Amino acid sequence: MINSIVGRKLALIGLFFLITFCMVSASWAGPLDSFSGEKGDIKISGGTAHIPVMKDAAKNIMNYNNDISISIAGGGSGVGIKQVGEGLVDIGNSGRKPKDGEISKYGLKIFKWAIDGVGVVVNPENKVNSLKTQQLVDIFSGKIDNWKSLGGIDKQINVYTRDNSSGTREVFWKKGLNEGEITNKANFVVSNGAMKSAIANDPYGIGYVSVGHIDESVLPVTLDGVLPDITNIKNGSYKIARGLYSNTKGEPQGLAKKFIEYMFSTEGQQIVIKQGFVSVNQ
Amino acid sequence: MINTGKFIEKSFFIAAIFSAALTFIIFVFMIFLSLPLFKGGLFFNILGNPWKPEHGIFGVYPMLIGTVLIVLLSLCWAFPLSLGSSVLISVIAPPRFSKLLKKIVQMMTGIPTVIYGFVGVFLLVPFIREMFNAGSGMNILTASLMLAMVISPTMIIIFTDSFENIPQAYSDAIDALGGSAIQKLIYVILPCSWKGILTGLILSLGRAMGDTLIALMIAGNAVAVPDSIFESARTLTSHIALVIAADFDSIEFRSIFTCGIVLYMFTTILILLVRFLGRMSLKNK
Amino acid sequence: MKQSFLEICIKSFAWFSGLFLLSAVFLIMCYLIIKGWGAFGFSLVFGDVPPLDALFLHRKVFSGLFPAIVGTYMLVILAVGMATPVGIAAGIYLAEYGKERIKSFFSLFYDILAGIPSIVIGLFGFSIAIFLHRYIKEIYPCLFISAMALAILVLPYLIRTTQFAMENIPEDVRLTAPALGADKLQNILYVLFPRSLSGITSGVILAIGRCAEDTAVIMLTGVVASAGIPKSLMSSYEALPFYIYYISSQYRTSQELQTGYGAAIILLLICAGLFLTAFFIKNIMIDRILYRS
Repeated sequence: MINSIVGRKLALIGLFFLITFCMVSASWAGPLDSFSGEKGDIKISGGTAHIPVMKDAAKNIMNYNNDISISIAGGGSGVGIKQVGEGLVDIGNSGRKPKDGEISKYGLKIFKWAIDGVGVVVNPENKVNSLKTQQLVDIFSGKIDNWKSLGGIDKQINVYTRDNSSGTREVFWKKGLNEGEITNKANFVVSNGAMKSAIANDPYGIGYVSVGHIDESVLPVTLDGVLPDITNIKNGSYKIARGLYSNTKGEPQGLAKKFIEYMFSTEGQQIVIKQGFVSVNQ
Repeated sequence: MINTGKFIEKSFFIAAIFSAALTFIIFVFMIFLSLPLFKGGLFFNILGNPWKPEHGIFGVYPMLIGTVLIVLLSLCWAFPLSLGSSVLISVIAPPRFSKLLKKIVQMMTGIPTVIYGFVGVFLLVPFIREMFNAGSGMNILTASLMLAMVISPTMIIIFTDSFENIPQAYSDAIDALGGSAIQKLIYVILPCSWKGILTGLILSLGRAMGDTLIALMIAGNAVAVPDSIFESARTLTSHIALVIAADFDSIEFRSIFTCGIVLYMFTTILILLVRFLGRMSLKNK
Repeated sequence: MKQSFLEICIKSFAWFSGLFLLSAVFLIMCYLIIKGWGAFGFSLVFGDVPPLDALFLHRKVFSGLFPAIVGTYMLVILAVGMATPVGIAAGIYLAEYGKERIKSFFSLFYDILAGIPSIVIGLFGFSIAIFLHRYIKEIYPCLFISAMALAILVLPYLIRTTQFAMENIPEDVRLTAPALGADKLQNILYVLFPRSLSGITSGVILAIGRCAEDTAVIMLTGVVASAGIPKSLMSSYEALPFYIYYISSQYRTSQELQTGYGAAIILLLICAGLFLTAFFIKNIMIDRILYRS
């Protein structure tokens, strides 16, 4: 009885502190302050792994200042780099580091604000949840084409892949497949989000997706005994890791600069963590 | 007043010229942008080569085959279905039902393609996958079935129009001889309206070939030349939609203009065919 | 009378195809409605923002269809606004001024234009935008470019409906005004054009439907997954059909998928509504002609 009263009091005090904290942080909130009084657009395109983080950041900024419009398009890393280089967007995202040629051609400035990995995923109904690198290479080249030979059911393996402008594909191809071939019978999807829902809908599918996008709708496959998750990326034991980059043409200006600064702020990095990526501040 | 009148009449003419010129401009613009490909015959290489970006080969041959297969297969489903439905509407069904059916078919032409695609993804794809044990279920068969739904209404409307436009005298003659509705269909309606049927077929072929969303959403978009209708494939139209985002100086990007030019020329040929048919029937009358 | 085997075959096949088509459409509609019904309500359109705040643009809507609906609305207004004057003018020229040869020459071009796949027109729009961007930095694939491309898409329909509506005016109506001393243009502007207005209007409404449903053109010319309400003609924007396409392949939660079904129903209702309006206007026209003359 006494315990519960004390508990209630404690809870009240806690609540009081929480409210004060919220009010204080609302009035003195650092990261969003720089957006006050601003007006205009920020155009963002490219990497699709970035989209959930970009959307949350954009939502926070636009809720704070209704005069700012932020548009977010996908397309893939190649597109992001190209479009920002041509001046079609303000920020071009990429899930791989821009190549030296690209950097010098467009005078890109690179900002790496999160660390991510590329994980192999299958449908949750699938019993095959661990693979060796060689098996993976054989699956994606089309050499192994039935789940039965991997200990699963007797069904054809449906390989899903991304197009060439995808940074996720590039990283996976280099670090996961050791630059092995990807069968041209593979189904094509256009983004990390599309990859996830394609695998979630296809009980016999296999694909690769940004680790931040993995949720309960798909089953991550351990590769050589290592599960693709945040912990293993952090401690370096999962080898298919990569950074998430935002690129600008030359030094970022105006709103784009503020947006990128926001990405590196505590609040921005909290979004990074919330969406399942590794913060660069750790 | 006279000046304003002249001005208005001029603007009618200019509008007509401008609209016609647009047709031409689109073509010229695409040729212009794919010009680098015409040097050294790369254009025809692209038409005949496979798509292997990692080896620097950007051919659209698989997409050409994919388009042909999906379109022809969808016509195989849609043609008998539409012919049957048109016969039902024009000859067999009781007048009230046939009127209702015709209205529904007209409404169907207004259903957005993306909705067929959407339902295709969540209803037809899993069904085909489990039913035929066919890979991911995103394949030529699935796309052609949905595409048949998209093109059937147009086909039915053109068919019924041509059924109803047969010379009254022939129709009366059969009635006078005591022929049944089916006899009328076989001996008068079908022989008289073969040009209309052909026109409907050609126009639907164009419609099927020009459609992007169905194939993009439910054909799987693989870049291999398909061996069977249970394999995933990519059409010329969805290839444009998928590659549009690429680097716009690359050959990869230029290749989509090849797709555009092929699609443009093919639809032009179809339109010319339809006109030719129209001329023929005018002369006959 | 005894029916032959062939007759029975044909009859049953005809009934089969008709009913098959009907049930397929019925199935598609029912599936959408059953799946999407649960999503219906204010929150489908406005998300967690109070509707009035959203409508007056005080707050941005992130999880609702409001930006997509507004985007589609603006797109349609712009595209049809651009295409209608040109289409009607060209249609009048074709019906009233063009000599037989010019007419058939022009209409060949319009038919080809009508036959060009919408993705090719989108590609044209995209290339124009990229081409212009080299000279004018402010031009990107955007709302204006999309509207322009859509206008090209519906232009041939508008020309043809205007032409047919004008040509189908009965000869006695056509001759009355000239007999009273009106010149050709006066006859067109004060008699023939008003007379064919209902036909033209239904054509315009069908063009609106075409603009509202087309996805291939806009996905190449500036529609994006997340943009909010477009601020100007040069902004990126969201649109309903693209939203449906986008959600179908990349929904993240089942709630997002539900919104996709909701969007599909809304788009379907819009198109059906437009179609019925056009139909209604056309029928009124027929009635009027029947009873007056």
